[in-house]
Amino acid sequence: MKKRMTAMAMAAVMAAGLLTACGGSETAATQAPAASEAASTAAPAADGGAGEDAGTEADAGSGEKANIVWAGWSGEEEASKDIFQRMMDTYREQTGNDVTWVGWTWADTAQQLLIRTQGGEQLDIAQVDIGIFNTIAQAGVLADLNEVMGADYLTENFQQAALDVGNIDGQQLGLPWSMASITMVYNPEILKEAGWDTVPTTMEEFEACLADVKALGGDVIPYAVSTKDDTCAGDFAPWLWTFGGSLFDESGNVAVDSAEAVSCVAWYQDMLSKGYIAMDVGRGEARQLFAQGKVAFYDDAVLAKGQAVSNGVAPEDVINVCAAMERPVMKEGDAPQSTMWGHMLVIFKDSQYKEAAAELAKVLVSDEVAMDYFENNGMPPVTKSMAESDAVKNDAYLNSFLKSTETARLEETARMTNASEIKSIITEELQYALLGQKTAEQAVKDMAARMNAL
Amino acid sequence: MDQGRKRYRLKDSQVGFLLVVPGLAVFSGIILYPFLSAIWMSFTDRSLLFPQYGFVGLKNYQKVIADPYFTKTLVTTMVFVVFATILPFVLGFIWAILLNQGFRGSEFLRGLTLVNWIIPGTAIGFLWSWIFNGQYGVLNGLLVKLGLLETGIPWLGQTQTALACVILARMWQMLPWYMAFLLGGLQGVSMDQVEAARVDGANNWQVFWYMVLPAMKTIAILILVLGAVGNLQHFDLPWTMTQGGPARATTTLSIEVYTTAFQNWNMGKAATIGTIWAALLAVFSFVYLRQVNESE
Amino acid sequence: MFRKTPAFRVFFWVFTILIGGFVFLPLLWMINTALKPSAETFTLDFFTGTKTLENIWDIVSNERIMQYLKNSLLVSFGSSAAATLVCAFAAYSFSKFRYRGRKLIMGMFMMSQAFPQEILLLSIYVLMQKLGLLGSYGALLISYVVFTLPVGTWTLKSYFDQVPDSLIESAKIDGAGNLKIMLRIVFPITVPGMISIAIYGFVWSWNDLLYSMTLVTDTAKRTLASGLVMTFLGEASTNWGAMMAASIVAAVPVTVIFIFLQRYFIQGLTSGAVKG
Repeated sequence: MKKRMTAMAMAAVMAAGLLTACGGSETAATQAPAASEAASTAAPAADGGAGEDAGTEADAGSGEKANIVWAGWSGEEEASKDIFQRMMDTYREQTGNDVTWVGWTWADTAQQLLIRTQGGEQLDIAQVDIGIFNTIAQAGVLADLNEVMGADYLTENFQQAALDVGNIDGQQLGLPWSMASITMVYNPEILKEAGWDTVPTTMEEFEACLADVKALGGDVIPYAVSTKDDTCAGDFAPWLWTFGGSLFDESGNVAVDSAEAVSCVAWYQDMLSKGYIAMDVGRGEARQLFAQGKVAFYDDAVLAKGQAVSNGVAPEDVINVCAAMERPVMKEGDAPQSTMWGHMLVIFKDSQYKEAAAELAKVLVSDEVAMDYFENNGMPPVTKSMAESDAVKNDAYLNSFLKSTETARLEETARMTNASEIKSIITEELQYALLGQKTAEQAVKDMAARMNAL
Repeated sequence: MDQGRKRYRLKDSQVGFLLVVPGLAVFSGIILYPFLSAIWMSFTDRSLLFPQYGFVGLKNYQKVIADPYFTKTLVTTMVFVVFATILPFVLGFIWAILLNQGFRGSEFLRGLTLVNWIIPGTAIGFLWSWIFNGQYGVLNGLLVKLGLLETGIPWLGQTQTALACVILARMWQMLPWYMAFLLGGLQGVSMDQVEAARVDGANNWQVFWYMVLPAMKTIAILILVLGAVGNLQHFDLPWTMTQGGPARATTTLSIEVYTTAFQNWNMGKAATIGTIWAALLAVFSFVYLRQVNESE
Repeated sequence: MFRKTPAFRVFFWVFTILIGGFVFLPLLWMINTALKPSAETFTLDFFTGTKTLENIWDIVSNERIMQYLKNSLLVSFGSSAAATLVCAFAAYSFSKFRYRGRKLIMGMFMMSQAFPQEILLLSIYVLMQKLGLLGSYGALLISYVVFTLPVGTWTLKSYFDQVPDSLIESAKIDGAGNLKIMLRIVFPITVPGMISIAIYGFVWSWNDLLYSMTLVTDTAKRTLASGLVMTFLGEASTNWGAMMAASIVAAVPVTVIFIFLQRYFIQGLTSGAVKG
């Protein structure tokens, strides 16, 4: 008897499971065209009745109005998802079109965008990081914005330097959205404690400063440069430039096997042996430790301040413990090195709604929306009109980033399709050197050999 | 009536085959077709970047085999698979035996043990990278407090310890799985026979060695094999904890395939690594299948 | 099963403390973290500092996360049930029937975990799109059933193998058909095995990240594993406290189900029909 009951219970559970599951998939399939409705009704309650409005509007428009798909990552993240909802609401109100958000994590965006474009699913506009922009562009799936948005609109509203970042071989494939540099961030309080009222500007001063910070004792890491994950190669590049080296020469040949690169790697080794830097530190760890006052310097983008706050620093104190500076140089007069950082908007070539997508892009960079994004998420705006606004002009913190941006360079791999392969080679060989398993000379030589073998 | 029915009754072998059909159908669509197309892909220069691609023959294979780090990746994978399978198996077996004793609260503990297994892999990865972190790690904090260490050790930042840490985290995640299966197996051991042996004077050790172990042999081999295959596929923990580093110390085949396919966009090469891996496994499975067939 | 001799007692306590500590201490640490105010997340105190339900409350009142949880429960239950059924049929067939191609199919099922899933993903994506299943739970369901297949069929086969043929023969003599024997006689006595597979299938879909993220992109249909990663693992920040809190909140319903299912293990045992 018991057996039979068990069996029946099992069967019932299974059947129920199957039914709900199949039901789920069926409704899912039929609803697919109206996915926007589901998405907007599922929007957090925080944005009030806006979701419903959009739903009815889309119904009323029947065919006339476009429903575009916008992909990226910030719309998923806790810190920015509400702002993204507001952006989409503004777009719906201003154009009468609808927009559906599709999101992944920041780290997965490139791969998911590529899979989606190859699968032929609807995709009209996307937010891309400067680091993956070239990859997507090389796949040949992006539309030339000079045609879609008009060259006049672009030059009227954006600085040429900003546009250049999104320009590949004369085609404007990316629209700059947020842009600044990755430079050095420091904790003024720790520096003061170590006897430094001003920031070090040369390598000599920098090393002296690191020594003073180290001498304070405690478990402070003087300089939390990345020694792992994809940020490791990113931090290495501007130092390599500072030492006068580079990954590639002007004609694109591998040039990393140089005396400059060896001295740069040897400098890393030296810093590690003196305890100025540490292993197993990536950007995430650096931010955590920085927020706890256990890091004097590290490399970061303009997001650094917001990070310190979300890691526990009180908003009113953050300005005292988090400031940006230019990277020290070998000798006075050299240009301080830093890499470009930023987000861009791209529109897809195969999109049926390129105009509607372009309208969204225009809404996103418009003053009102950009100001919201800047004030509530710290994202540095790029349009000429925003650069003139008081809010941007008077932001001392942002301006120290923008100062570094003047001399910032694109990563050398920024226009290469195998950028991440090259970066993982650099990270791995640098780690071999830091862990004492290879000499600086050997590591640099292997870097070059492996890059040549690609 | 009865006769009429009999006429339509299927032969046993037909019934047998019909029962496999649902499984076979999904299998063919989800595994077989993608698998065959992946093998084909390994002879092409397919990239995730471009829809067009061409046939390149054995070029991918030559590249993979010529890679100076490929052997190291194989060895790392082997070490990971062996230890991440055997260790939680042994501990899971002991844990199952203890929980099978039926003391007060043992039932509750069994359920609770399974919690580890249902925590998303990424969260487990973060938990253990935090435990092992060199700067603010829990383990270092504890050891320093106890006076066993003066300064923290970057457990995940040195080649000697990184792999062991990842294996430990994997062990923590998977122990419940081994426990659940072995517990199921233990409960299949006939208590009547155990009682009978007790009457004949068998002690605990003899009961374990001559009765429990033989009865558990099939399930033990099965979960060892499946556990090993699962570990070969495993990606989440080494990825969240170390991204395969430092200096490739935790780069397993699975990590290598992922980075090749989704960071370097080289689907052809990734498929090649996959095909080599499947070929190695085929040898492994062949041995296993032969053993299963013998026991039948 | 084992007598409580002094030696066994020592063994029992040593390993209970050792394994119990290993299994539960990190778990407690996780709970401890979830209960800390975010400013103190990285302090080393263990249930000593300020405690707050803030993180937990944030998760429970976060509609999106609750939606992910619901979706995950739905998908996981569905695929677990479907997988158990598909596996049980196939395993029973492998165990009790003999036909041409049987060993080949068995071998193929075994091999279905032998190829890196990352590579299969691309073809599966295209296939699902052609089938019109992209973005639906159906796509996930089918994928998860297949990934449970090797473990499922081979485990259940070993359970069915233990069911003596004499039991089936005598039922046949009594006039029972194949289907009746399978559903009424054999399946009930292998319930513990089926529960194991159901749990396995459940956890597989519960934990899957890559497939759920790729095959389903609609926020409203997202499952928990990918939802959590996307919510808390940002471009710039990782919210550890919230992530731990969310993992714990999500683990609660499933743990309750698992503890409840333990009874079925016991019932399967007490029915005592499996005598080898």
